[in-house]
Amino acid sequence: MSGVKGTTVYRVRRALWASTMYTLLLFTVVITALPFFWMITTSLKERAAVMRIPPQWIPSPVVWGNYVEAWNSAPFGRYFFNSFFIAVATTVGDVATSIPAGYALAKMVFLGRGLILALLLGTLMIPGQMLLVPTFILVNRIGWYNTYQVLIIPWTAGVFGMFLLRQFFKTVPDELWDSARIDGCSRLRYMFQIAVPLVRPGIATVALLKFVASWNAFLWVIVMTDRVDLRTVPVGLRFLQMEMGDFHHLLMAAATMAMVPILLLFLFAQKQFIQGIARTGLK
Amino acid sequence: MIRRIPAEWKSKRFWKETVEAYLYLLPTLAVLGLFTFYPFVNAFLYSAYDIGTRTVPGEAILVVTADVEDWVSLLRRGRVPDPLSTFLAGKYGLDPQDLWVRLRQADRWVLRDEGAHREFVVLREGSHLTVRPAVTRWDLRPVGWANFQTVFADRDFHKSLINTTIYVAVSVPVTLFLALLLATVLNQAVRGRALFRTANFLPYITPWVAVAMVFRWIYNRDIGLLNYLLSSFAGLFGVQMSVLDWLNDPRLAMPALILMQVWRFTGYQALILLAGMQGIDREYYEAARVDGASSFQTWRKITVPLLTPQIFFLLIISLIGSFRIFEEVMILFMGSGPQNSALTMVYYIFRKAFESGQYGPASAASVILFAIIFVLSLFQLTVVQRRVHYER
Repeated sequence: MSGVKGTTVYRVRRALWASTMYTLLLFTVVITALPFFWMITTSLKERAAVMRIPPQWIPSPVVWGNYVEAWNSAPFGRYFFNSFFIAVATTVGDVATSIPAGYALAKMVFLGRGLILALLLGTLMIPGQMLLVPTFILVNRIGWYNTYQVLIIPWTAGVFGMFLLRQFFKTVPDELWDSARIDGCSRLRYMFQIAVPLVRPGIATVALLKFVASWNAFLWVIVMTDRVDLRTVPVGLRFLQMEMGDFHHLLMAAATMAMVPILLLFLFAQKQFIQGIARTGLK
Repeated sequence: MIRRIPAEWKSKRFWKETVEAYLYLLPTLAVLGLFTFYPFVNAFLYSAYDIGTRTVPGEAILVVTADVEDWVSLLRRGRVPDPLSTFLAGKYGLDPQDLWVRLRQADRWVLRDEGAHREFVVLREGSHLTVRPAVTRWDLRPVGWANFQTVFADRDFHKSLINTTIYVAVSVPVTLFLALLLATVLNQAVRGRALFRTANFLPYITPWVAVAMVFRWIYNRDIGLLNYLLSSFAGLFGVQMSVLDWLNDPRLAMPALILMQVWRFTGYQALILLAGMQGIDREYYEAARVDGASSFQTWRKITVPLLTPQIFFLLIISLIGSFRIFEEVMILFMGSGPQNSALTMVYYIFRKAFESGQYGPASAASVILFAIIFVLSLFQLTVVQRRVHYER
């Protein structure tokens, strides 16, 4: 039989199989990486080299000045400040509201618990875009149009993060709370000093995903504000794209700059990212 | 008849815990209440109204007779003339930096002060301009089903519905299928799995605006990378490729959009499936081997069925997520695509509301979008989930 271990046929088949697998994998990696490679290569080319066919794969000369030029072609300093400020504020807010809410729903017995759970789960079905018009009118009525608070406050509570933390809090054994209570510890203190440190991986995941989502926020920003000094990086990129249609080397330099903070975050916290993503798919 | 009172209602501790729990939930419920539940109810309400803004000017506080044309040309470009900001700042104690032109119309410009939330209107009255404080009012006039009638009769809406359906119907299964293949391959390869995993993750975390800008560049008709690679590839076989105009040919707009989105999400979905595959008990595979099952049979009869929880999860989030497609279109095509060939439902809502100021029809379209997503979710919860195999 050809499938028996140790025979030549088996080894050849295995080697063939493995090389097919790795070729396939390599192919997907090339497809995945090509746009990134192309973005960075283009960002370092002279304007004339950008237009060349067949394309220049490695820029020569390498023009680092494109980054300076791109940075100076719009108030990117302000855009980056806004993006950081808003992303940090919404992340802190989301974690701060999700911890007590997630804890209450995981560990406490109270009147209307089922109703609240159903209500919060139901919001996951509401597409945010459906709420744009009513929220826009609300925001105008309360005078929040074109302010930082409209970019931050509505995003300081999220059902997704809350449910993720609830799952984590559920794994904390009840005996801990029982013994803490006997020792006279208040619930609030128990939650922050004992339960929260135990669910730190969950908090890291929530924070990372929230930060990335916030960094990428676009539609909300262009609907709720229209001032240059409130633009975030993605919104700034869009206006840059409208202003300089075919200066591809500068646009690619700007796109690369927009990507750097998220890339750094990802490299530093890769484990939390991947675990967090994998966990969202598990029941 | 006396209703049974639940036993815990008599316990004092239960009530104390209820109060405490609601305190813990309060911040979340407050934010969601104001920015999710309240707008959600209003979305339905507004779909039955004609909604518009009206700027009501007050008494003139300034009449401009000199340099009128200079003022007009500045205002038309959205700039506040310096003498005007100085005047208003002096009169109302405002920061001149906070003044901006909120609305530009033929003969009137609405100025807004962000610090004190005041509004002013500049009116052109014959040869001179007047500046007046103004109040903006939202006007709501009930119109019954008229907004829905407007939307259903709108050819653009039909177009957006068709485009969104095509997008969802193609991109969701294609992405999921490719992700399943990729996850299978990743599951086999032991060496370098971490590296491949990282690589597959990148498209998903990269800011999507940057991705759409890069693809816009790759799709360029004359000097884009894709057409170059396609024609080189065709050249290998001695075939002459006609030049594909990805961004300006209405027939290619949806394929271009779908290709980009498949590229973005395949790796992410593969990671979730891979995590699921690694959670499958090895005993199942042992048993299959003993019974002499082929690799493909094992994959088909064990791996895929046991992955249904993950597949089901991905199907839900990608179906619902795909119906929300819009922002990528805006960047990729710098508009809704040639002849609206990539106009999606959310793009339609955005355009109606924020480009034409037709908030009522936009609300009606939002309600339709919600109805579609709602029915899909229900369908998945009732029909699809019944076919999910859980391991235990």
